[in-house]
Amino acid sequence: MFHRKLTASDGTALALYRWVPAGGGSAHPPLLLVPELGFGRETFDFGDGGLAAYLVERGREVYVIELRGQGQSAAPPGWRLRDLVERDLPEAVAAIRASRPGPIDLVAHGYSGTLALAAAVRELDGAVGRVIALSTPAVPEVPNSTAEAFLAGGGKLASLAGDPAGARAFDLLFARGANIAPPRHALLRSTAVSDLSPAAAADLLGWMRTGDLALADASTVQARLARYTRPTLLVLPIGDAFAHPEHASALRDLSRAPIVPLLLNRRDWMAEDYTHLSMLAGSGAPADVFAPALAFLDGKAPVAGGGAGASR
Amino acid sequence: MTRAFLAACALAGISACSSSYSDPLPAQAVRHRVKTADGWDLSLVKYPPVGTTRGRPVLLCHGVGANDRSMDLDDRHSLARWFAAHGRETWTMSLRATGDSDRPDPKAGRPSGYDFDTLWRQDVAAAVAYVRAQTGGGPIDYVGHSMGGMLIYAYLSQGGQGLGAVATLGSPTRLDWGGAIEPLVEGVGEVAVNGRWLLPLALSSHLSAGLQATLEDGPIQLIFYNPKNVEPATWARLAAIGTADISGAVALQLLGLMRTGAFGSADGTLDYRKDLGKVRTPVLVVAAKLDRIAVTPAVKDGFRALGGEKEWFLAGQESGAEADYGHLDLVVGERASTEIFPRLLDFFDRHAGSGGLPRP
Repeated sequence: MFHRKLTASDGTALALYRWVPAGGGSAHPPLLLVPELGFGRETFDFGDGGLAAYLVERGREVYVIELRGQGQSAAPPGWRLRDLVERDLPEAVAAIRASRPGPIDLVAHGYSGTLALAAAVRELDGAVGRVIALSTPAVPEVPNSTAEAFLAGGGKLASLAGDPAGARAFDLLFARGANIAPPRHALLRSTAVSDLSPAAAADLLGWMRTGDLALADASTVQARLARYTRPTLLVLPIGDAFAHPEHASALRDLSRAPIVPLLLNRRDWMAEDYTHLSMLAGSGAPADVFAPALAFLDGKAPVAGGGAGASR
Repeated sequence: MTRAFLAACALAGISACSSSYSDPLPAQAVRHRVKTADGWDLSLVKYPPVGTTRGRPVLLCHGVGANDRSMDLDDRHSLARWFAAHGRETWTMSLRATGDSDRPDPKAGRPSGYDFDTLWRQDVAAAVAYVRAQTGGGPIDYVGHSMGGMLIYAYLSQGGQGLGAVATLGSPTRLDWGGAIEPLVEGVGEVAVNGRWLLPLALSSHLSAGLQATLEDGPIQLIFYNPKNVEPATWARLAAIGTADISGAVALQLLGLMRTGAFGSADGTLDYRKDLGKVRTPVLVVAAKLDRIAVTPAVKDGFRALGGEKEWFLAGQESGAEADYGHLDLVVGERASTEIFPRLLDFFDRHAGSGGLPRP
C-alpha cells in the first residue's frame, strides 16, 4: 500500500492510498473507494482483509481517498459537505487520472458516497465508469432519533466509543446484530472514526430533514442525481440503520442510470442482515458483497446471495 | 394395507395435533354475509366495541394466503379484539375463497381464475359498502395487511370512496428488487401456477402446524417473521387457522408485478402506482424493518406515490420496539398490541374529522 498527500484547491491536505496488484499494472480501470462520512480508510482496509485487499488480489488497482475530516486528511474548521463535492473528490480523481488516463470505477459508501454520485455529473463528468453504491441515500430522511441526536450534538462520532451509551448508539446506527469480528469492530469504533465538523453535521441533518442538499453551483444533490447516468450496482443492506435502504432505493426512480439493486438479507441465503458497516466488515461480506460487486465491475450480472459462496 | 393404515393414522394424528391450535371466535363476535356484485358470498365478522363507542368503525383485511383469522388469532394476538377493546366497532373480512367465504363453484356462477383486480373491485368494494350500510352510512377506517393494503391502494387509486383514514401494514407496491429468491419464485411460479387453479396452501399449513411449532429459525420462519417477535406456537396457530388457498390468477398477477416492477391491473390499462397520486384519503404506511417479503424499499415506493396526507412508520428497534419486525409480526407479533396497534389507533383518532376527501 502506498500513501501520498494531495492538496485540495483551498489548501486542505488529503490522504490518498494506493494498492497495486502483484506484478504491477492492471488492465482494468482503476478503482476509487470513497469512505462514509466520519470514517476513513479502515472501512476498506482492516489490515487482515477488506474490500481493498479483495479487489487488489483480483487484479485491480485500488485507491482510497480520505476526504477532509476523515482519517489522516486535514479537517479545516467549518468544513462543509459541499467541499467534498467541489474540492476533494475532483482532486482525488485528477491525481489518479494523471497517472492512469481514462475512466475510473467508483465504490461509494453512504452519504459521502451519494455526494460522489452527485459529483459524477459535474465535477467528475466523463471520468467515472461503473459504480458500486453502498447504501447511498438519494432522498435521505432522518433515519431515527439516535441519528438525529448524534448530528444535532455536532456529529462527534469519535466520542461515541467513549461511554456505554455512546457505544450503544454506535452499534444501533452502524453495526447492530452484525457479524463483525471483535478486532474489526473495535477498530471501527476507535481509530477508524473521526468527528464531523459542526457545519458538516448541520449539513447532514438538514439534508436528512429536507431530503436534499444545496450545492455551490445553485444545483442540489437531487437535481444532480436526476442527471446521473452511470451503470450502478445499488447495494441495499436490509439492517442499515444509518442510511436506510428505502432512502437509497429512490435512486432507481430519480436517476436515468441503469441501476441493478442488490438487497443484502438472509432471505437470499446471505450470512446476515447486513448493516452500514457489516457490508464491508462482516465475515460474510467477501461472498455476499465483494464478489457481486466485482462481477458488476467486470460487466457481468452480479449473483446475489454468494456469487462466490465457496469462499465463505 | 398396513402402510395405508399407518399413513392414515399419521395423517389423523398430525391433523389432531394441528386441531389443537384452533380457537373459537369470541362470544361477542357476530358473523355476517355480504354478496358481491358478481355473486360471491363473503364472510364478515363484527366485533362490537367494548364500553363507549369511540370513533369510526374499522374494517380489517388480511393478506394473500391468509384469512380473517390472521386479524383475530386468539385473545393475545388479535387486532380485531384490540380495536374493539378500545371502543372501535371492528369488522374482519375474508376475501373470496378464504375463511368462511364462498369457494369457487363454476356451476353456481363462481368461477375460479379471479385475479387481484377482482378482489378490490368486488370484495373490498362490497365489504366497505356493507360495513358502511350497517354502521350509519358514514366513512369507515381500514387496515390492510400485506396484499390487504395493496388492495386498498388499488381501490383508492381508482376513486374508491367511503374511507376516512387507512393504515397499510407491510404492503409493497414494487417487487422487482432482484433478490436471489425472486427468479426462483418466478420460475417455479410460472411453471406450477395455472391461472384457474387454487394453490392448496391451507391444507398443507393446517397439517404441518404441529411441525411448525417445533421450528424457531427455519427457512420458512425466516421469510415470514422474526422469531424474536413471534413464538413458535403463535406461528403454528396461524398456520393452522389463519391461512388460505391462493388463486392462481392472483399469484400470476403478483408474479407479473415481481417481473416488471409495475403496480397495475392485469390487463395493463390501469396504473395503480401513478393513480395513487390522486388519493386524498389520509394513509399511515407501516413498514417492518426485517420484512423479507415486503422489503422497506417496496413499501416506501407506495408511500412516495401517495398524493394526500400520509405518515410513515418503520417498525423496529430504531423506533423503540424490542426487536425488528418481520412481515407477519405486524399483526401477530407478541408485542404488536403495545408496539404497533396503538399507532394505528392514534393515526385514526388524529384523522377523525376526515371523511374521504374529494379527489382533485
